[in-house]
Amino acid sequence: MNKLPLLLCAAFLVGCGTPAVYKDPSGRDLVVSLDKVNIQDFATAGSQMLQSMVSSPAFAAGAPVLQLGTVTNDTADIFDTDLLLAKITVPLVNSARVTLLDNDPTANAARGAAGSKADVPSPQFVLKGKILEDRSNAGSTRQSSFVFQLTLVEVKRGVAVWQDEKLVTKQGTKNAVGF
Amino acid sequence: MRKFLPLLTLGLFAGCTTVLETGDKLQRGMTPPDAVNYATTKPEGGFTTQTNDNRIGDKVELLAVRKAKTEGGFTRVQFDLRNGSALRRTVNVSFEWLAADGTVTESQANWIVTPLEPGALTTVTATALKAASAECRLRLLSR
Repeated sequence: MNKLPLLLCAAFLVGCGTPAVYKDPSGRDLVVSLDKVNIQDFATAGSQMLQSMVSSPAFAAGAPVLQLGTVTNDTADIFDTDLLLAKITVPLVNSARVTLLDNDPTANAARGAAGSKADVPSPQFVLKGKILEDRSNAGSTRQSSFVFQLTLVEVKRGVAVWQDEKLVTKQGTKNAVGF
Repeated sequence: MRKFLPLLTLGLFAGCTTVLETGDKLQRGMTPPDAVNYATTKPEGGFTTQTNDNRIGDKVELLAVRKAKTEGGFTRVQFDLRNGSALRRTVNVSFEWLAADGTVTESQANWIVTPLEPGALTTVTATALKAASAECRLRLLSR
């Protein structure tokens, strides 16, 4: 009889844990972390800002020439800010709503080697931004807010023609799965 | 020792993610799952709805749908949603764009989590990126 609880404990120890499975990256059961920006946070902020940006007069007609500026990561978390920018540039480029300048050195070298005389268009707009965070807690409840700021600058006049700020706020005592 | 081992077992029960997940799955199995619901604009005006979760009617109301064109000729749609219940609700929204022949031209894959206080109204605005996008299909998931 004394051995039974021990065996039970061992059985539970062996059975604990969840094997890794593939998840839909746009699904509802992704990990929600309190201390970092999750992949779905970039998607949420990016898609909302994209909708706001295409409603601005700068995108009223044609495909303006866009150059990507710097997006500063001012959070304690380390990530590539392209995770945010790609959510905006990919749909815009694929729907031909912008002409995106690409300064890839290899492409530039290939263009030079090919003797291309085509003019590289001058940027009409520059997209820049910043990602910030704010953390607070009450007892064991922690709250993290990540602030995504983007500005579209008209190069010719040097003025901001569109700005937006999106907040993603998460609260809880520990990381969780799903919303 | 005899008292300690059952306590240890209980502790393992409480800390074991597998046991907790099994409990969560059991609980989810006992309640009907939240299903995705749709509201789609029509070419002649107005909209149609496809309700797959009958409980959403007690939670979220679709008050109005407006469709217009932007300066550049792209379709823009606004959906007015209201929490008609006496409890705080969270509605998750995303949308797809359809061409005149019904093919999907664009989609916003991720869900936008929208908490709504009782009686609160929110407007979901979607602007098409492609000129071919004519109708908008709003996807709604309530919890």
